[in-house]
Amino acid sequence: MALLNRMDWYNLARTTNWTPAYVTEDELFPPELSGGFGLPATAWEGYDEPYKQTYPEYVKVQREKDAGAYSVKAALERSQIFENADPGWKSVMKAHYGAIARGEYAAASAEARMMRFSKAPGMRNMATLGCMDEIRHGQIQLFFPHEHVSKDRQMDWAYKAYDTNEWAMIAARHFFDDIMMTRDAISVSIMLTFSFETGFTNMQFLGLAADAAEAGDHTFANLISSIQTDESRHAQIGGPALKVLIENGLKDEAQKRVDIAVWTAWKLFSVLTGPIMDYYTPLEHRKQSFKEFMEEWIVAQFERALTDLGLDLPWYWDKFIADLNDTHHGMHMGVYYWRPTVWWNPAAGVTPEERNWLEQKYPGWNDTWGKCWDVIIDNVVDGNMALTFPETLPMVCNMCQLPIIGTPGNGWNVQDYPLEYNGRLYHFGSDVDRWVFQQDPARYAGHLNVVDRFLAGMIQPMDLSGALQYMNIAPGECGDDAHNYAWAETYRAMRELKLAS
Amino acid sequence: MSTHKAGSAYHNNLVGPVMRAGDLAMAVIEAARIDNPGKQVTVDDKRAYIRIHTEQEMILREETIAEELGRPFHINDLEVDLSSFAGQIESQPGAVRFYFQKTV
Repeated sequence: MALLNRMDWYNLARTTNWTPAYVTEDELFPPELSGGFGLPATAWEGYDEPYKQTYPEYVKVQREKDAGAYSVKAALERSQIFENADPGWKSVMKAHYGAIARGEYAAASAEARMMRFSKAPGMRNMATLGCMDEIRHGQIQLFFPHEHVSKDRQMDWAYKAYDTNEWAMIAARHFFDDIMMTRDAISVSIMLTFSFETGFTNMQFLGLAADAAEAGDHTFANLISSIQTDESRHAQIGGPALKVLIENGLKDEAQKRVDIAVWTAWKLFSVLTGPIMDYYTPLEHRKQSFKEFMEEWIVAQFERALTDLGLDLPWYWDKFIADLNDTHHGMHMGVYYWRPTVWWNPAAGVTPEERNWLEQKYPGWNDTWGKCWDVIIDNVVDGNMALTFPETLPMVCNMCQLPIIGTPGNGWNVQDYPLEYNGRLYHFGSDVDRWVFQQDPARYAGHLNVVDRFLAGMIQPMDLSGALQYMNIAPGECGDDAHNYAWAETYRAMRELKLAS
Repeated sequence: MSTHKAGSAYHNNLVGPVMRAGDLAMAVIEAARIDNPGKQVTVDDKRAYIRIHTEQEMILREETIAEELGRPFHINDLEVDLSSFAGQIESQPGAVRFYFQKTV
């Protein structure tokens, strides 16, 4: 029997809205969950998904994708890539799986909200496939690291991380809860699929795949780039929703959601992806700098697409561009300094050769971040290890949940951005973080960041052991220098040479 | 510092797929040249992924890719290795189109 061409029946098949007779439209599509923005269901029927796929096509394509990813894993399983990998690269994998895998699984719930509650039939169809995508991403990114759990206890955090109050996970959960777990269907389509998935996931799943391929970790490169083929489809859910809002005079509402999601995603990536690309990945395997990947994926590709849809650049654009030079260097130093409180072993990444690379990619690095590292290096070389660990608590931003940082040394610009709301003093790392809070203070006001919890007496005893217990970091899971400080030998030799001359 | 340059990188009109490396990507590069006559096709190979771009608009046709692959190919199978793309996308019968509405 001849089959109809897909385009001959697709539009009719996904026309699934009807006029409810037994309930009101608001009962069928509760505004809190649907996010109709005051528009009737008929307005959303104009939603036309640009990337069309049917269920039979989905099953066929996904089967082929999984066959590819699992067969590469099977073929390379006995190649001892993990055992022979540079310790810095192992840390890349640990940070990635812990911060990502269970978040993907949670994203299935966000997709399910669009699938059930969106008034746009086309969105419901695409989100059905998107929901299954996210289940795949959760499962496959738990299965792949599982083979390494018996070799390295920190790999257990691929599963465990989201169940803990580890500080980076509090930040990750705060972000994902905000943009996808507690928003209506339309806002999810704008904040998760459009802002986060057409933009930032390319950094983690393709930029990092380029580094992984250079590092010879083809299992990981193949896995994450395969995941991104799902993202490239379901990330298109948000674009037509933006068009509907703009056509109906709601551009400001759309723009606000994009601006919030882009900024908060940027902050999370500055602590997760920035250090991975510019410090942990072995120097010879770095395809591009973090800043160069950001320019490629976020500035040249994502922001161009955003303006083509009729939105404006975020109001904080100039600050964002300037921060591409700085923020992740501060985040890296913070992670390294508080390294017992993460589930991976941070690589310092500051050998003389690596510093030259950093200076080349980020002119001025030696006069700013380098000055702090000079002190850490001297302490390591002198054997004053206690001085390489913190004795005080950091200031933590009440929006991004990450340390409040600025540029040290000759570029000193550290500043707190405070705000008093309902009698409580909040601290923010930038005017943009504070602006996000001000868009909906009641939404964020009740949250305590990890230092707030410490000061409230929720973490006992009030020392490192209490903090580790609160964060559920067991013995053997604490982070320490990835290379066991072997990199400092070069500096020790340089000092001895200098003394001898 | 290259702040100014970085901030203006969105001033471009490049559209097209970002493919995972492999035989499909190679076929897409050839198809891009055949299906978009008169247009310059730029190929940026990052090893794990390959950017295949033209200015403003790119069409990829099912039969061209099948011809280049030397085996049957359905346009929706492009997704197996289509990990990202620049521009907007439009599904067409037997083809896919990448484009920008505006020119900058």
